[in-house]
Order: sequence, then structure tokens, then C-alpha cells
Amino acid sequence: MAEQPLPERQSPLEPDYHPGSHGNFEHGVDVILSEMRPGTILQLAAWPGEEKQLIEIIGKVTGLALPDGAGGGVSSGARAGFGFAPGKFTVVDEAEGLAAAFAGAITPAIGTLTDLSHGRTAIRIAGPKAEWVMAKFFAIDFALPAFPLGAGRSTNHHDIFAQIQRSGPDQFDIYVFRSFARSFWKALCHASEEVGYEVQ
Amino acid sequence: MLITCPYCGPRDVIEFTYQGDGNRERPQPASQDLDAWNAYVYDRLNPAGDHNEIWQHSGGCRAHLRVVRNTITHEILSTAFARGGHKTESRS
Amino acid sequence: MSPRRTETGGRIDRLRTIRFTFDGAPYTGHAGDTLASALLANGVTLFGRSFKYHRPRGLLAAGVEEPNALVTVLRGEVREPNIAATMVEIYDGLVAVSQNRTPALAWDIGALNQLGGKLLSAGFYYKTFMGPVIGPLKGTRFWMFCEHFIRRAAGLGKAGTAPDPSRYERMNAFCDVLVVGSGPAGLMAAKAAADQGARVILADLEAHFGGSANWSGETIDGMPAAEWAQRTVAQLGGNDNVRLLPRTTVWGYYDGNTLAALERVTDHKEAPAKGEPRQRYWAIRAGTVVLATGSFERPLVFPGNDRPGVMLAHAAERYVNEYGVLPGQRIALFTNNDSAYRSAVALKKAGATIVAIVDVRADVSNDMRRLAGEAEAELLDGHAVVATEGGKALTGLKVQRFDAISGALSGDARSIHADSLLMSGGWSPTIHLASQAGAKAEWDPARQAFLPPKPTQRWIGAGAFTGSFSTAEAIAEGRAAGVSAAGGTAAPAALPIVEAAPGDPDPAPVFEIKAKGKSFVDFQHDVTAEDVRLAHREGFVSVEHLKRYTTLGMATDQGKNSNVPGLAIMAEALGKPIPEVGTTRFRPPYTAVSIGSLAAERFGDLKPERLTPMHDWHIANGATMYSAGLWYRPMIYGLPGETVEQAYVREARATRESAGIVDVSTLGKIAVQGPDAAEFLDRVYTNMFSTLAVGKARYGLMLREDGLAFDDGTTWRLGEQEFLMTTTTANAGKVMQHLEYFLDVIWPELKVTVTSVTDEWAGAAIGGPNARAILAACVKDTAVDNATLPFMGIVHGRIAGVPVMICRLSFSGEMAFEVYSGAGYGTHVWEALIEAGQPFGLVTYGLEALGTMRIEKGHVTGAEIDGRTTARDLHLDWMLSKKKPFIGSAMMDREGLIAPDRLELVGLIALDNRPLNGGGHIVEELDEDNPHDSLGHITACCYSPALGKYIALALVKGGKARHGTRAFVSDPLRNRFGPVEIVSNHFYDPDGSRMHG
Repeated sequence: MAEQPLPERQSPLEPDYHPGSHGNFEHGVDVILSEMRPGTILQLAAWPGEEKQLIEIIGKVTGLALPDGAGGGVSSGARAGFGFAPGKFTVVDEAEGLAAAFAGAITPAIGTLTDLSHGRTAIRIAGPKAEWVMAKFFAIDFALPAFPLGAGRSTNHHDIFAQIQRSGPDQFDIYVFRSFARSFWKALCHASEEVGYEVQ
Repeated sequence: MLITCPYCGPRDVIEFTYQGDGNRERPQPASQDLDAWNAYVYDRLNPAGDHNEIWQHSGGCRAHLRVVRNTITHEILSTAFARGGHKTESRS
Repeated sequence: MSPRRTETGGRIDRLRTIRFTFDGAPYTGHAGDTLASALLANGVTLFGRSFKYHRPRGLLAAGVEEPNALVTVLRGEVREPNIAATMVEIYDGLVAVSQNRTPALAWDIGALNQLGGKLLSAGFYYKTFMGPVIGPLKGTRFWMFCEHFIRRAAGLGKAGTAPDPSRYERMNAFCDVLVVGSGPAGLMAAKAAADQGARVILADLEAHFGGSANWSGETIDGMPAAEWAQRTVAQLGGNDNVRLLPRTTVWGYYDGNTLAALERVTDHKEAPAKGEPRQRYWAIRAGTVVLATGSFERPLVFPGNDRPGVMLAHAAERYVNEYGVLPGQRIALFTNNDSAYRSAVALKKAGATIVAIVDVRADVSNDMRRLAGEAEAELLDGHAVVATEGGKALTGLKVQRFDAISGALSGDARSIHADSLLMSGGWSPTIHLASQAGAKAEWDPARQAFLPPKPTQRWIGAGAFTGSFSTAEAIAEGRAAGVSAAGGTAAPAALPIVEAAPGDPDPAPVFEIKAKGKSFVDFQHDVTAEDVRLAHREGFVSVEHLKRYTTLGMATDQGKNSNVPGLAIMAEALGKPIPEVGTTRFRPPYTAVSIGSLAAERFGDLKPERLTPMHDWHIANGATMYSAGLWYRPMIYGLPGETVEQAYVREARATRESAGIVDVSTLGKIAVQGPDAAEFLDRVYTNMFSTLAVGKARYGLMLREDGLAFDDGTTWRLGEQEFLMTTTTANAGKVMQHLEYFLDVIWPELKVTVTSVTDEWAGAAIGGPNARAILAACVKDTAVDNATLPFMGIVHGRIAGVPVMICRLSFSGEMAFEVYSGAGYGTHVWEALIEAGQPFGLVTYGLEALGTMRIEKGHVTGAEIDGRTTARDLHLDWMLSKKKPFIGSAMMDREGLIAPDRLELVGLIALDNRPLNGGGHIVEELDEDNPHDSLGHITACCYSPALGKYIALALVKGGKARHGTRAFVSDPLRNRFGPVEIVSNHFYDPDGSRMHG
């Protein structure tokens, strides 16, 4: 049977996603907000003692060289990966179908693979005031020395869990549960009004 | 109050969930010793001073931690993964 | 230029005029003025009426401690009461009004309260309003009767009722060093720490950094101190490591060096910029805190010390040096220490006449005599002020000889003509934050003050906060604190050189002059020295009781002026030294904090919304949404003119007659993966899961450790080591935590990963006699017939090109299927199902119809699994495996949990054919006037289209044994009484033939 092409995935932000400049932007836009819409978001978990093995597998499959250590990660163009909990990693790819590439590599002796490509929504905030706006939501230190490039963090804003990766000196990628994404997006836009923001 | 998660580093207490007295020992699953089960389910130590507690970093990495906390000063004397095994350096 | 404004001096901008109103009258001031300084410059002396006696009051202070000049600031309909005029920066269009006066500030009928002075003494409320023992106003009812009138007469500003449109925000901040206070000590500390490379936050509650440097008139490094402060701030501002927070009050010091601060971002502006918050709540985590919070000058307690025109000496110095305003032309000073002499010289320099310096000490030093001479003031050493004169403004005062040791007055009273009296009763370090941090203050007999305790958290004190009142000491301590806080070692560089007036920091231990008339200790709460003594005579010994009985220090200023004088008077009455009487511990907040700032971004939108992938479709198709926890779910898809009951009855009936579809994306879904996943589920569920075949689902029940029911749901085996667990919507988070706890803490050896995948999958449940036909019409790549997809079977296929997973299970009791797809395709699949269902009359149904059909089937939900019921109570004992232990198995058979009189799940049918109500009680015998002897209660109810009756589920004592018997619903709250029949909870299709097909 000829396979019908997959429809486009629906964004949870749609009715509240308004490209353009907003808020106090007359003096310039200090943050840029966007939905990243990666094709794949995976959670990889290693049993205790198998973390290094898993990091190696991630390297082989994706080309991402994750540094060992809590929250270590890299972000390189189409792909990104970071640790977010003991033995657990988030791996993201612009393209769909990365799960299949891992399926054979992660054996039951090493750990598990969970596909969250639909379940998490990726939002990017970039610009000189990105740290300032992020500090309105999360009680973690966003300064570069405390939160280095590529590193990941797990935290929350009230009831909204978030995994955050620093993907640039002035840029953060926020992964939130899809069902909360619109609520979080609206709050993020609201909090960005003060500095002027652009939705791309 | 801040609790230093061995994975995430020091975080605000609002990210954590208290999961009770860490001194309790669960009887073997098949145990029929009702006194032991009663003690496990209902008895809690409540010392004025250093206390072994279980906290979950529910708003972060979700690991459960064994925390020694002084119940008078709120000083956190130590934190460790409850599960153990994972060799991940602390970020502190 | 206004009458009291000096020609030069201060940091105000005389070229910029600002217009505002106070009590409706127009005034002008200058940029840089506070409401207090601007009104003072306009000759205003009367700022408020006192709390109890409605006495006229003027400015006592120039800063945050001001107890008298409290105003209400109006912005449109929004009013903010009880703000110190000293903390309000004027802006064009500011509207401020005075408080606690009827009808006007100058002529206040409440002032008649003064005539009843004795009546309103300490404990007045307790004594006067204990009503008669019997009668309609017995006991506290009398108080409740009188309260209304008293609250109107005594009090502060009125809160507004208009909604506050302002934006408030929370900020999280991290720093190595937080410096609180920006006087010379704080500035040095911030600079030293920043120079060491530390991340520094400098916060000051004032609009301008510099603290005392702004008004001390001293010289630092050869320049006016104010200029030195400005230069230092400019240096700090150019440093990337430093965040400057003016107008920011650090109000709370919590565990782990977490501090709370309130930044008043736009209160000084005419209007905020777009998106700019009015106030910002800062949660600051600091490595080390430098407390450079300075000190408060204390009033002296003497008759008439509250008359408008009586002011703290340093406050006058501030008004003249910082704002260019003279508080009077003929000024007298009254002091027990040296600092007031400097104030006298400053005022003289600014053009005032200093008529006298009254000093309680006979042994005034030569340095001070010289300063008195410089001020051209008559020095009345060994004297005290015993009275003041005037009405709404001071006209003069009376002095007498005074013995500072015995406190005795002698000789004739002498009158002095003056329009301003400045007092200084010594200085109290501002130790509030240190006290909040957990340590007890220590009394220093030389300084006659409480000094900060040894740190219990990581803070370092500097300057006047430590009792080091000179600027040279503040600078030295500030730098040392900054270096040490940043973890460095002291730099050998020379310290800035200070030129200051001489002065001994130690005052004479004189707090009160006992003479005839009201001598105020707490200006804001109208507590007099005599009130304190009365409390003592009535047996109050503890300072905590004294505080509550007299309300001393309990006003909005929290005793910033009154604390030490009050204690001193109590100590004298007790015949004990002050440290033995003790001090109360300061608690957050240091100053009043707006509720808006605490709510911050949660204002108006208290909780985030959780939306299913099909949310927008539901809205667009007429659903009435219902909030279930954080989720929004369709309640009904009502047609025009339908009631809720009509809508759900139609939806449920159509489902049972043909087919219905409901969004079940909110069900908790947890991926349980790993080699030990099956073993883990066997331990977690009461029934077996290791025996479940791949591609099949099973209904499971979980108990808590104590043996009570916890949650239920189906779990699907997708692979040998891979399960998809579903939970109830409400318990998804709790079940997840439960599983994580057991994996982390109890069974760390199990190799299992649990992951919340609730949001990964969109779920649609389609049920009814035609459900299978509808699926068959749209599902590709798999058959859905009974052989391929038996009850509790799972198949994978495609709908409209999208991969789907279909499990045949039923909550409605009909032949039903749950169709799961990736959430991003949820609406796409949903629409395809709707389209396929159109020829069959498929209806969308909401929570109400879902609930109706589950009640008809007798399924349990959170209303029945309520934390008090067991599996047996719910007739789920068939699920309790005897082959294995599971969580709760050891405890579930305890005596009380298997007793025969437990509440058990039953069905109810209303015999009067009227609706039943959740929570209504069930009784054997109806007694509407005296309802009693409940047998249990209703957990869920509906109109059942299948039965054509009003039915309910209930938990009833001895449940099953009562099937077929009659009882009554007794619901006095809703006045619903009537007969019911108790039946099985399985109202509809009890043998399940419909869903098994």
C-alpha cells in the first residue's frame, strides 16, 4: 500500500503565535522568541554504571560529543543533546525519525529510549535580554559561568516543568510539556513586553 | 531554604517535595509482620535536631535524595541520591 | 521659591517644577523632592491625624521610619493607603490625600477623642468591650457591636476596592555579594567586592544611593560626601559585575541566604512604559550578604513630643541638606547625645536661627560647646524639655533643669519661642534583617542600643549597623566587609579620608522626661509612656505581652522609632536592666509589601492552563469547557437552547444508540520501560501484569502502602519490556511520584525507567454499537474485527495517513476503542474519525455524558477512590492477587479495613424522580428537622437516559446487604429529602454483553 504522506504537525501555540514585533519595541527588540519545531525529541536513560556507554552511543548515532558530568551538553546546528537528570539525556534533531536510528543501539543492558517528539514543545529565546526574561520564570542562575554553553538544566515554573539548554551565549532552548506550552508561551510573551520582543 | 541536589546543584526548596522520614525501613514485601508494617507506614521520627529525610527534586531532575537536615536551624548537612549507583559529579 | 526652600543646596533640581495635589489643594515641588519635602517647603506642617486620639501630627522623620505622615496615593480609581510621605517621590499629576480625619485634616471632629484620654488607654478594648454576662450583647458580642464604630474612628487609610491594573513581576537573582544599604559603608563594601571580581547586587530602599553621605555635610577625599557617593556609584554602575537596585527594600532574610526585596519600579513615574511592572519582587540568593543598613535616630519621650514641628534632628538635617528645605526659622534642639550638635550647625549654615540646644547632660564636652557656639545657639546643658506649645504648628517649648542620673526636674520652667524643635534620643542600629536571619540582638550599655548578634547565616555587618556611627569607621568596615564577602584579602590601599564634625557615639541613658502631659512612645499607634507603665501595673511582665497589650510597635512602622524607648520605660518600671527585659525578634517584612508583588505574574492567571491537542477544535465546535485540575475539557457540546442536562442526556443516549466520541488525552500516561518493567508492575498493581501478552491491555488497581485504594487504569503491553500505563487524569502526577519513589528509594535494583508521556499522545475514545463500523471505515493497515482486535486487544494502523495505536476497551460500557496518535496529529485524526462517523450519526460528548455513562456502568473514579475506601469497599476484591505481594497487600486486611459495617459502593435510584446531589447523606429514617444517623453519602449522580431515572452512586454502610431496600436522601443544605432505592452499582448491562459485543 502506498503510504500517504504525514500531515504537518499541529503547533500547540498556533492561535497565540503572532510573528512580528511586540511590546516595548520602539527602542529596539531585546529578545526574539520562536517555536523550534524539531522533528525528533528523545529521552535516553542509562542504568547506573552505563552512562558512559550511552554517551558513546549518542556520539556514534548523532555525532554529538556530550561532555560527561551533570547537565553536560552540546548544541550544534541541527542536533542538540544534554543531560537533565542522573543517567538521563535529551537528544533533539531537526529531522524526524532519529528514534529509529537509536532503536538497535540502545540494548536492554544499557538503558531505554523514549520518544517525546510530540510530547514536548521547544521554544527558543534569544537576545541580549534573554537571561533577564528567563530570570522572571526560573529560580536558576542563567549567568554564563554558572550555566555554560550547551549545558542543560531541569527546573520548573509553578506547575510547568522545563528542560532548558543554553544553545548560545544569549540563547536558550526551553522544552516544556506540550499541554502547558501555550500557557507558558503566553506568559513568556507577556514577560518579554518590557524589553520589546519579536516572534519569528 | 536551598537544597543542594547532587545533580542539579543548590536549588530553591520550592522545587522539592518532602517525602518523609528517611529512617523508615520497609519490611520484606511478603512479610506478614503487621507490627513492622505499622511501624513503617505510620511511625515517624520527629527529632529536634539532625534528621534523615527523603526529598524528591520533583521540580528538577526528579531524583529522590537522602537529606540530613537540622530541624531547628534548617541547615542542610548533607544530600545524596537515594538510589545510588549513578556516578554523576555534583554541580554545586 | 516657596517660603522654606533654601536658595541653594540639596540634590533637587530647582529648574524643574513638578505639580501635584495634596488633599485637593495644588502644590509645586522640584524634581528630587519627596512628598514630605515638597509639602514642608510649601509651609505645610500638618500631615496627618493620630491613630486613636486624632491628634494633629507633622513630620517626625525623613525616611522609611516615618510614623505620622501617612498618606493615600490615588491613581485613577486605585488607592494605595498608608504610605509614608517621606517615601513618595513626587511626579507631575501626583494625587495624595491625608488619612484618618473627618471631614478635613485641619478640622477633625475625631480629635474630641483626646478629651477621653483615660478611656482610650492601654488595654482599652479588652476592658471596655467585655460585655455583660447575660443579655443580647453578652461577652464579646458587645465588642462586635461596638467594633464597627471604633474601627471607623481609629485607624489608618482605607483600602481601595477598584481592581489594581498594575503589572507586578518576580525576578530571581543570584550574586556572590548582596550589599543592603548604600551609605558610605555599603558603597565601600560594594566597590571592594566588585573590585575583587565578585558578582554584586547593591540595594537601597531610597531613590538615591549614598545614605548619610547625601546629607551629612561631611567631606570625603576632599569633596563633599554627596559628591563622593555619586562618583562611587558611577564607578559601580560601569561595572558589568554590579547590579544597582535603587528604590529596592530588602524586606526578608530567609534560610540559605535567600532574601526577598521589593523594587518600586514605576511608583515615581507618571505612567509605566509598555510592559514595565509597577513593582518587582526580587528573590535573591546571595553567597554573602553585607548588611550596611545604618541606624535610626530615636525620639525622646516627653510631654508634647508629638506636636507638629517636633522632628528628629537628623531628619531636619536631611531636609535642609538633601532637599534644600528648612523645617523652621527659629529652631531649638533637645538631645541626650552629640549628634544633634552637627545638625544644629547644618541648620544654622542653611540660614535658620538656632535658639537653643537643650542637652540632658550636664557634662557636655568642649567640642560640643564649640559646635554650639558655631551654631550661635544658647546651650542649656543639664536641662530638659517638659512641654511644647502650639496647635497645628509649634510655637514654643518649656524647659526645666534636669538631673540625668535621677531623672528629677527642678527650678522654674522657662519658655522658649521656637517654630521647630529637633530631638535626638540616640541611635539604634537597623538590625532587622540580622534578627530575621535568626539571631538574638545584644544590648550594648555604652551605645544604649541593641547591636547585631553574631551571624547565624553568611552575612557581614558594616558601619552604623554594627554600632560604628562615624563615617570613617563605616568606610573602613565597609571595605573590609566587601573584601571578605568576596573571599579576598584586605587591599593595602589607603582608605578615603573623612573630615567630619567630632562627636562621642555614646548617648546619656535618658529616654524619657517625666512631666505632666502625654508623652508618646509609639507615635503611630498613640502609645504613651503612661500606657507602658499602666501595662506594668496591671501585671504585664514579658515584653511580648507588653507589645500586644499596648500595641506598642505593632503599627505599620513596626516599632522602628518606639522599640527601644518602650523597652527602656518598661525596664525602669520593672526595676530591671534593659537586656533582662529583652527585645522582640524582628520578622519579615521589614516594611509593608504589596500583595500584588507577592502574587507577581500569577495575578489574574493563577494557574497555567493545560490544553489537549484538540482544544481549539472543541472551542470551535461549541464545547462548553470545564476546568478539571489544570486541564480544560469539554463538559458538553450544547446545541442552541439546550440545558446542560438536556445536552448530556442527548450525547449519552446517542452514544448508546449509535456512537459517540470523547477526548481522553488528559488521561495520565506513563511509559514503563526496562528489563524489570513487568516485575515492577506486579509489585505496583494488585493484579498480575507479567502474565499479560504483548499487544494486550489489562485493567489494574493500585493500593497505597496502608492498604487503601489509590488509583486505577488500564496498562498496555507494547513490548516485552515496554508498557504504557494509564492513570486517572487527576492522579497522574501522584502516581508518577509514587512509581519514582519506589524505584529510587525502595527497589533501586530494578532496571525500570518511568517517563510521563501524557502529552505525547492524543487520545480519542469512540464507543457505541457503530463504533467498530466507523473505525473500519477509516483505519488503514489493520483490521479491527473481533478476531484481530478482541476486547483488551491492541492494534497499530493508520488513520488519514497518521500512525495510530488502537486499544479496545470501554469506560462507557459500549463496544469502545481508544485511538492514540502523536499529539501533533491529534486534531487531524479526530477530524478523520468525526468524518467517518458522520453517516452513523456519531456525536461528540463531554465530561457530563462520560460521567453519566460511567455511573450507569457503576465504574469508580476519584469520587469513590477517595483515600478512605478499600478495594473491597468498591467491589474490586477480585483484582487482589493472592499469588504475590504488592504495595498495600500486607496492610489491606487489617481489622478495620474488613469490618462488615464499612461504607460500600452501591447504586441509588431516586424514587421521587427528582435529581440527587453529590454529598447528600443517606439515612434509614427521614427527620428533616433533626437530620442524623447518616449511613453514607452520594459520590456521583446524574439523570440516566438508559434507565430514564435519576440515579447515583453512593458509599453506604453495609452496602451490598441493602440491595433492594429503601432508604432516604437527607440533604438539609440543599433542602433535598426523599426516598431512594439501594441497588447494585451496576445499573446498566451488568454482564457486559454490549462492550464484549
